[in-house]
Amino acid sequence: MTKLRRWVYHYRIAVLLHAILFAAVIAVWVWTRPGMPFGSQDVTWHRSQVNRDLYVGLDPEYPPFTQWTPDQIEGLEADLAREIGDRLGVKTTILIMGSDGFYDALLKGDVDMVISGLHVDPSQEEWVYYSEPYFDGGQILVSRPEEKYQEMKQLDGKTIAVEFASSGDTEARRWERRLHSLSIQRYILPAEAMQAVLDDEADAALVDTISARFFLKDQAGLVMADETVVSEGYVIAMRQASFKLCQEVERVLEDMKDDGTLEEMISRWL
Amino acid sequence: MSLQPLLSRLQPWARYSGFWLRLFLLLAVLYGLAPAPLQIELGPRQTVESLHPKVCVHTRLDLEVEEWKIQRTLSLVREMGASTIVEFFPWAYVEHQPGQYDWTNFDRTIRHVHNQGLSVIARMGLVPDWARPPVYEKVTTLQYLTSDHFDEFAAFVGAFVARYRADVTAVIIWNEPNINREWGDREVDPAAYTDLLRVSYQAAHAANPDIVVLGGALAPTLADDEASTSLNDLQYLELMYEAGAADYFDALAVHTYGMTYPPNAEPQPDKVNFRRVELLRDIMIRYGDEDKPVYITESGWNDHPYWVNAVRPSQRLTYTLEAFEMVEQWPWVQELCLWIFRQPLDSHNPRDAYYALVSSDFYLKPIYEALQAYARGWENPYEMP
Repeated sequence: MTKLRRWVYHYRIAVLLHAILFAAVIAVWVWTRPGMPFGSQDVTWHRSQVNRDLYVGLDPEYPPFTQWTPDQIEGLEADLAREIGDRLGVKTTILIMGSDGFYDALLKGDVDMVISGLHVDPSQEEWVYYSEPYFDGGQILVSRPEEKYQEMKQLDGKTIAVEFASSGDTEARRWERRLHSLSIQRYILPAEAMQAVLDDEADAALVDTISARFFLKDQAGLVMADETVVSEGYVIAMRQASFKLCQEVERVLEDMKDDGTLEEMISRWL
Repeated sequence: MSLQPLLSRLQPWARYSGFWLRLFLLLAVLYGLAPAPLQIELGPRQTVESLHPKVCVHTRLDLEVEEWKIQRTLSLVREMGASTIVEFFPWAYVEHQPGQYDWTNFDRTIRHVHNQGLSVIARMGLVPDWARPPVYEKVTTLQYLTSDHFDEFAAFVGAFVARYRADVTAVIIWNEPNINREWGDREVDPAAYTDLLRVSYQAAHAANPDIVVLGGALAPTLADDEASTSLNDLQYLELMYEAGAADYFDALAVHTYGMTYPPNAEPQPDKVNFRRVELLRDIMIRYGDEDKPVYITESGWNDHPYWVNAVRPSQRLTYTLEAFEMVEQWPWVQELCLWIFRQPLDSHNPRDAYYALVSSDFYLKPIYEALQAYARGWENPYEMP
């Protein structure tokens, strides 16, 4: 009996010691996480909050996303940059740069983020954080509302209109091999491809989302599919070290999607 | 002597031997299930079939990880009818410690280049960590090279040229030194670049007297205002000549992009278009360098849907073919290399994806097939709608 009691005693002590050790390991791990008292700090966020500033890199050669007018930098991405700044309570300063220099500028700390039609680049993901997409500029199906096509596989036996030699043309050729039959009509401009659908020369057009939105703005009688055939998500790039800023920007983007601000902004420019 | 005590001591271990045996067998099975590394067969050496030897492309094999992609890319280049590639060979990738070269990756690329029967114009650049200031002193980019490390760069060029003398016909010394980003985010300096060219030229020719050293590779830009730390290519070339560069390059590397203009658009100093190369050539003639050839090591049109400097895909295809036809009439142009054959990921640079001839998943774009037809004398498969 005494032996058993001693064993139980030792067992309890051992369990307690292990629990303490485990808790200590967890505590050390938690306290050294980024943003915790003994972890790395987001100096960008700290500076931004102290100075009330935010530096955003944009390339003004991509209207209507960013363009340089005599008065100011404007466009969807410029508006987005300013809106993010407003919602974070800081003043956005836009820095103009060529797209070749974005990652260098981000690395050197010249800018806090880049909003310029970037896609997620896995080769940069070691140090760059990419936000959720704020826009999808990929290839999309445009068709008549009474015969709305959502996916390429619905076009078996149909005729598709594309811009000659475009990404839509390339994608249509891929599907030509997958489907039993797909007839491809090629046009010089994306607007001509969409007009062909209006004129009943084709069942659907496969064009880039930007061209589609522009055409549909002026032209009733056609609708876009709900999702792109080939997604090209436009994302915001930030340094991973700016983890707090990344979190806040994601939150702001989510809010803008939920309250309709982002869609309103996109519709204003496209 | 009895074995009993020993056996009784081993008993607890023996009790677990089944477990260890099973674990070992499981690991052995898992190891066996792991995919074997891809076997790359080189096969017999190929030859390029082309009626137009000036057709050349700029590849980006330096960004490639998997060897089969290098092989596939280069076989597509050969099948297209291009006999030469421009490829980037970053200094930083090979000389991790001063004076110690690890040529493994370069060897791999050159092995496939050789196997496909292609020749290489090698672009040299990108500075290793040890040749840049420590990060606590100054944050610099990989293009930051100061004059106290010019000799080490030249030594690398010499070693490279000596090693690959059978396949590398020309080397480009630096890339676009007239824009501040490519000059390490500093104010550009044609005299310093000329100095870099001089030491590199001497090292390259000492290693291989037949090598063609290409100078320039200037970015076509109109930057010339005082606020800018870049310099327009025409001014920069003149300043290079003023600094004595003429003796230190065998041919001029030129980047000439069509932007939104057709290839026959008149050249003008205040416009960036394809025939801007003629303005650079005029400067060469003015400085008595008319006998030196020009290698167009970057060129092309972009068909991005909304970039202000892009054209529609149909225009891109037509303009590109017309440009090759024009260059056939220019004996002073040695090569016309298109930027860019393919990038490993189209998302790497969204704009460059629209310069590419082949998508990152190796899908041939119509412009590839049209160029192939041109280079090999076939009928163009694409009739304009």
